[in-house]
Amino acid sequence: MASPAEPVGTRHLPLRWGLSAYARRLVTLVLAGLIIAIVTRRAEFAGLTAPALLMLATWRPDRAAQLTVRVSLDTPTAVEGTEVLVTVELYGQDELDARLTVDPGDHILAGTAVVVPAGHSRRVARVALEPTRWGRRSLGVLVITYTDRYRLAEGRAVLELPEIQCRPLPAGLRSSIVLSRLPSRLGEHPARSTGDGGEFAGVREFVPGDRQRRINWPATTRHGTVHLTTFAAERTQNVVVIADETTDVGDPGSTSLDFVLRGAAGAITRYLAARDRVGLVIFAGRLSWIGPGQGQRHHQRLLDLMMATPGGWERAVGLTRLPRAALPPGSLIIVFSPLLDPRLIEALRDVRERGFSVIVVDVLNSEPGHEGSRVSSLAGRLWRLEQEAIRFSLTQIGVPVVHWDGVSSLDEPLAPYTRRVLVAHR
Amino acid sequence: MKRDGTAQAPARLAPLRRRGLRLAAAATLGAAVIWWAAYPVSGGGGGTRLMLVIAIAAGAMSLAQLAVTATVTRHPDGLTAADRIAAHATGLVMMLPWAELMTVAVLVLEALHSSRPWHTAVLAVALTGYLLAVHLAETDAGASTLRALLPLLSAGLGLTALSVGSAALPDLPAGPVVTLIRIGAVALAAVAAGLAVPVWLGRGQ
Repeated sequence: MASPAEPVGTRHLPLRWGLSAYARRLVTLVLAGLIIAIVTRRAEFAGLTAPALLMLATWRPDRAAQLTVRVSLDTPTAVEGTEVLVTVELYGQDELDARLTVDPGDHILAGTAVVVPAGHSRRVARVALEPTRWGRRSLGVLVITYTDRYRLAEGRAVLELPEIQCRPLPAGLRSSIVLSRLPSRLGEHPARSTGDGGEFAGVREFVPGDRQRRINWPATTRHGTVHLTTFAAERTQNVVVIADETTDVGDPGSTSLDFVLRGAAGAITRYLAARDRVGLVIFAGRLSWIGPGQGQRHHQRLLDLMMATPGGWERAVGLTRLPRAALPPGSLIIVFSPLLDPRLIEALRDVRERGFSVIVVDVLNSEPGHEGSRVSSLAGRLWRLEQEAIRFSLTQIGVPVVHWDGVSSLDEPLAPYTRRVLVAHR
Repeated sequence: MKRDGTAQAPARLAPLRRRGLRLAAAATLGAAVIWWAAYPVSGGGGGTRLMLVIAIAAGAMSLAQLAVTATVTRHPDGLTAADRIAAHATGLVMMLPWAELMTVAVLVLEALHSSRPWHTAVLAVALTGYLLAVHLAETDAGASTLRALLPLLSAGLGLTALSVGSAALPDLPAGPVVTLIRIGAVALAAVAAGLAVPVWLGRGQ
């Protein structure tokens, strides 16, 4: 139990002492040298062992049996591909060098060992780890090895590192799709209607009640009557991102689910940065959603939901119809999906029939493997035709489908829709 | 992280250059030890060539072991054939104490040659240096950690010189040279004891 003077989170671990690899080599040298000296009756081989024997003579049996350590993370959440720093504080045993190594958990990248030199009663070291894939991950096991002054004995203590929530790396997205009809909320997108924005909309004749500061003097002089400059209203838009987590196909690290989550995280980050109201629907074994909102806290909530929902194929009633509460009228709906689940296709048709503007980002980048036989080749062709038919049918009902390879920026596939406003039509 | 999902070692995590230098030092010393013990190959008894091959193989594997220890650890995302082969190769490299095997092979290689005390003394120095270099390379400890060992190393090398001198004595003709060597041997023994005893007494501090 920690004493009252010790910092919070301090732990006491047993130290298991044993011969170091260096000591084992010295013992080998001594034994081999002495045996050869006796067998060959050559004294120089006994002399050869003298340095090793003298170094082994410094062995001492009494050693500390316990280690006091405190481990903390610099952040409870991380983004895949970024470093997480684990701060390790060692108390006591200040006359011994310590070496920190990490046996990393799955999808965690660990660096080389960190050496903490002797010298202080409280020593702090930082070990950097890198989660390489999103999800809740165990960072691994920290092995603390104390080495005595003469490098003969090693004391080892093992500590389980805490888990970390690793979020997907947001896909790059600099541009955004803006609908032609925007709801009456103040925002940053210039709307078709005139208002108090900053973007020039036109010039019209003055009517009583207009503000005099907007008089356009060149036009007034030219026409002989008072004219005003008008500006476009600035509106926000509701964006709902649908992440299809029902399927996970492809190579590890670049599966369709990886791309869905990275793309959805990129879209959420981009539209929230543009002051839009963003919601999220997770289409998995069950539906989970958060309605559109704004702000940093909302951003965190959306990313937490993305991580909290387990994917899966389980059949659930009503999955072909998305709830009204999750889709405010006039929303722009961006779907990230490999389009392999017929329930999602049905749900998209339904959403489109309800008048929403929908765009699908297709993240399917793999095909079913086939053994090379004629039948499997035929099956592969049928599968491809079916996929093409699904995409064509969506296009026919006014749902554009763009393909994203998961590697390039999302700007590239979305370019035809980000260069001009997306006309919302029913 | 690359956009294709694979990961790169964080730059801050890997002081690989320093580790590379230590590995190179261990490799150089190991090669020197093997060459010194085997030289001349034709002068050794039966089995010299076989022992040379064993020493070289063990030395190479010990270096591979050090390199594997120094490599940034990464759990594979999947178990492909390449991953399995890499895991088997790593297991093979880490399976045996290659540095110890090389030490024994080198001593046997030296023993296969006829008695040459001063040659053996130089081998003792090189072999001790090799073991220290391997230790530094595998633990990533600084060279300053050797400071505590310096008195012991000095004393040990003095004792080695003493024993080698005594081994060489029968070959020397009687006369003032032998007397000088005896005086030198006593002085070396006194110096060795003077260096080693304080360290041994203070080992608990």
